[in-house]
Amino acid sequence: MIVAERKPLGEIIGFIEDFRKVLVIGCGGCATVCLAGGETETKIVGSALRIAARKAGRQQQILEDCVTRQCEPEFVEPVPGRLGDENIDAVLSLACGVGVNLLAERLGDVPVFPGLNTKFLGATAEPGVWVEMCAGCGNCVLHLTGGICPVARCSKSILNGPCGGSSDGKCEISPDVDCGWELIIRRMERLGTLDRLVEIAEPRDWSSSPHGGPRRVVREDLRQLAAEAEEEKATTA
Amino acid sequence: MDTRAAPEAPCLVACPVHTDTRLMVERVLEGRYEEALDLLLEANPFTSVCGRICHHPCEESCRRSKVDAPLGLRQLKRFIVEATHEYRVRRRGPVRRTRKERIAIVGAGPAGLTAAQDLARAGFGVTVFESATEPGGMLGTTIPRYRLPYDVLREDIDDITALGIELRTQCAVGTDIALAELQREFRATLLATGLSESRALGVPGIDSHGVLLALPVLRAVSVGERPPLGQRVVVVGGGNVAIDVARCARRLGATEVTMACLEAREEMPAWEWEVEEALEEGVKLATSWGPRAVLSDDGRVTGLELRRCVSVFDDDGNFSPSFDEDETSGLAADTVVLAIGQAADLTCLKGSSVKTATAGRLEYDPETMTTSERGVFACGEVSTGPGAAVEAVADGHRAARAMHHFLDTGELLKQAPREELPTIGDLPEETIERIKQRARVEVGRSPGEERVRDFSEIERAFTEGEARAEARRCLACTTGAFVDEDRCAGCLTCVRICPFEVATVTKTASMPEEKCQACGLCAAVCPAAAVALKRFGAERIQEDLSRLLSERPKASPSAFIVSYCCLFETTSRKFLEENPEDVQRTGVARVLVPCVGRLSVPDMLLPFEQGADGVSIIACADGECLYPTAEERLGARVEEAKRILEEIGLSGERIELWRTRESAEVSWTSFWEISRRKLAGIGAEEQGEET
Repeated sequence: MIVAERKPLGEIIGFIEDFRKVLVIGCGGCATVCLAGGETETKIVGSALRIAARKAGRQQQILEDCVTRQCEPEFVEPVPGRLGDENIDAVLSLACGVGVNLLAERLGDVPVFPGLNTKFLGATAEPGVWVEMCAGCGNCVLHLTGGICPVARCSKSILNGPCGGSSDGKCEISPDVDCGWELIIRRMERLGTLDRLVEIAEPRDWSSSPHGGPRRVVREDLRQLAAEAEEEKATTA
Repeated sequence: MDTRAAPEAPCLVACPVHTDTRLMVERVLEGRYEEALDLLLEANPFTSVCGRICHHPCEESCRRSKVDAPLGLRQLKRFIVEATHEYRVRRRGPVRRTRKERIAIVGAGPAGLTAAQDLARAGFGVTVFESATEPGGMLGTTIPRYRLPYDVLREDIDDITALGIELRTQCAVGTDIALAELQREFRATLLATGLSESRALGVPGIDSHGVLLALPVLRAVSVGERPPLGQRVVVVGGGNVAIDVARCARRLGATEVTMACLEAREEMPAWEWEVEEALEEGVKLATSWGPRAVLSDDGRVTGLELRRCVSVFDDDGNFSPSFDEDETSGLAADTVVLAIGQAADLTCLKGSSVKTATAGRLEYDPETMTTSERGVFACGEVSTGPGAAVEAVADGHRAARAMHHFLDTGELLKQAPREELPTIGDLPEETIERIKQRARVEVGRSPGEERVRDFSEIERAFTEGEARAEARRCLACTTGAFVDEDRCAGCLTCVRICPFEVATVTKTASMPEEKCQACGLCAAVCPAAAVALKRFGAERIQEDLSRLLSERPKASPSAFIVSYCCLFETTSRKFLEENPEDVQRTGVARVLVPCVGRLSVPDMLLPFEQGADGVSIIACADGECLYPTAEERLGARVEEAKRILEEIGLSGERIELWRTRESAEVSWTSFWEISRRKLAGIGAEEQGEET
């Protein structure tokens, strides 16, 4: 899942304090699962903003909503209409950055602000702890490294590790951070495939990663079908 | 579409009249005793009676039995009745007659009077004929006063007669007025004459002087007579009537009272607790013995000769005792009382064409409740055979439905003799292990040797504190968590937090009703707000708050506090009754929650939105919480709410978490006082920071 974390309320208040009517929109997807921006967090943020407005003597209305997933056009489709109907003049999104972007594309002249800091692609390590496990580099090498990602889990993202900064299984950047390569080696030992690491990984092409510019995935088959359906609808209409 | 009825709590299902005992307990906890009484009387007009003598199948089925001991539901019922006397008198009154049809009911016992109540409420004119001087049937004439004082029974009956029913006592149908005449005068007649005769026994010597029948003895005792039974009394029989006779005999001064019954100890048909109480009172048991002959001297009883009973029932479970004639015994006796069963007195049929089936039984259709004559119905023990009081009440309700239908349509209504409802099922073993044990509140009984001195009641009622403490033990079956699948993100938070390991997630979460303990911990933290509770959910908290906060003191001299308090720690109604003046005066608005562990962070923040200066959360006393981990979880949520306040420039100290000391009444007021003073200081500090 995409892991995010709520921004400090002081920062959020700074975004929205000059707006008369603000809609806080949560997301029922990853942001809910990582306990950062679901229905309940939306209520908490909404409540906190109302208390803050009351305290500051601001005449400000804070409304709340939560959509199934802010990264889907169909789910955010009703939002612009609501903004118009209710004269809402700013939106605070409690989705990951994807949701904020999609809303920004669709909300016309109403500004949307991020209520969360989007952190990483990760997993729940234990209740209340999430760790990064994928960097979304676009070219998986997990088959070479026992299923543990050197790009995401090594601080340097090196492909031939460990480096000299590894000691007692920890990374030199912090005693709280496991050395990704130590994890890879232990795993491959267990799998009996350690010998594969003798082979040196060649410098890789990073153009599939964010460094290559904004990425997109296209399934031509589905796109084609959707276009045809649209066309048919237009003709029958 | 799922058309099955929703599963109910086992106590409700087990009750013959389906009293919603679970809801009754909830109302006790919430201090709504009058509404609890309404609920009880709606199901059972003989609520006072059942509070004393019901055989409480609700308790037998209580799921708490598997954890420690069942809830004291019968005693709670008695508590409600005793706590609401004045209200009950006020609510009593006539109903409007809306139907021209008149109905005759023969017999003013629990079955007949229940039907009378229902039919009167349906607008019919109802006349009840009773041969005795007072209404009540067997409840009034044979149940000993130490179990059921007559004024308790009278309280129930007064409700019914107040409806505007005509009650004609000392009017024996068949003797004083013919059944045929009733059939002519009334559009429908109900025979609810019960089983008022004791069965006799055909053994040699039975005609001896000093051989008595159980019911006449009990009837005499019930009107205050003291039949001379002598020092040594043998009661033949092992049922509840035999127990009543034996215990009365002890109270009448007999020193040696023995019950001789065919059954082995564990087969005795009497309720186990009654047997125990009889033993405490010095009654002796001679089990697995059958009477062979009454011994006499000069026509006067001297004892009872017994033969060994080797089995009571045949392979099909039918009553068919067999004896070993070689093994005999004897009991010396001044009196032998026969309590071997009851029979119907069908004098009322005299001269009528209502048919009897086998000897002493009515010809009767158990589904339509009709006799052989159109318009003549029957209910209660006369048609069902011996049963408990609450079963007679249930049959009375059924008869009323059958007659109402008949008078509406001219048709007969088929009803199953007993309405079976689905229950939520047994508590699974792994859930039982996780439920905290909590001792049943027992009122105890005075010692047996003291009890036999007179006919005064042997059991006292719960005090209010005891009733509330016992109500707290309820597992609140059927009121647990449920999931809105459209909202659920399958995040597993509920699974990770559930202290009873109830929640599971496959795509979306589910909390099987038979396991859920309704603690509300999952609902408090569900990030999708997809979990709700069937009882006292977040919406209830919000409703309470908005009602209370609409009464916010106009010019409060000091801080205004919303206090979420643990409902379970109250030993009286002092803090349960909402009093707007109180809120104005004290500046404290209370929201009582069945375990504050279910409060969410939004619940804690909401009062501030609505103008509260502080939130005081008062949890139960140390170690008292029913729900494992609830205290720690609540603590973590309070910390989170405090952090939120800090982030927006308010002091986190505005939210305080208290633990009850001793009880609500003892400690809460002082907590509010401390919070109020502290808030005054915090307010000044925050002002200072801003300027």
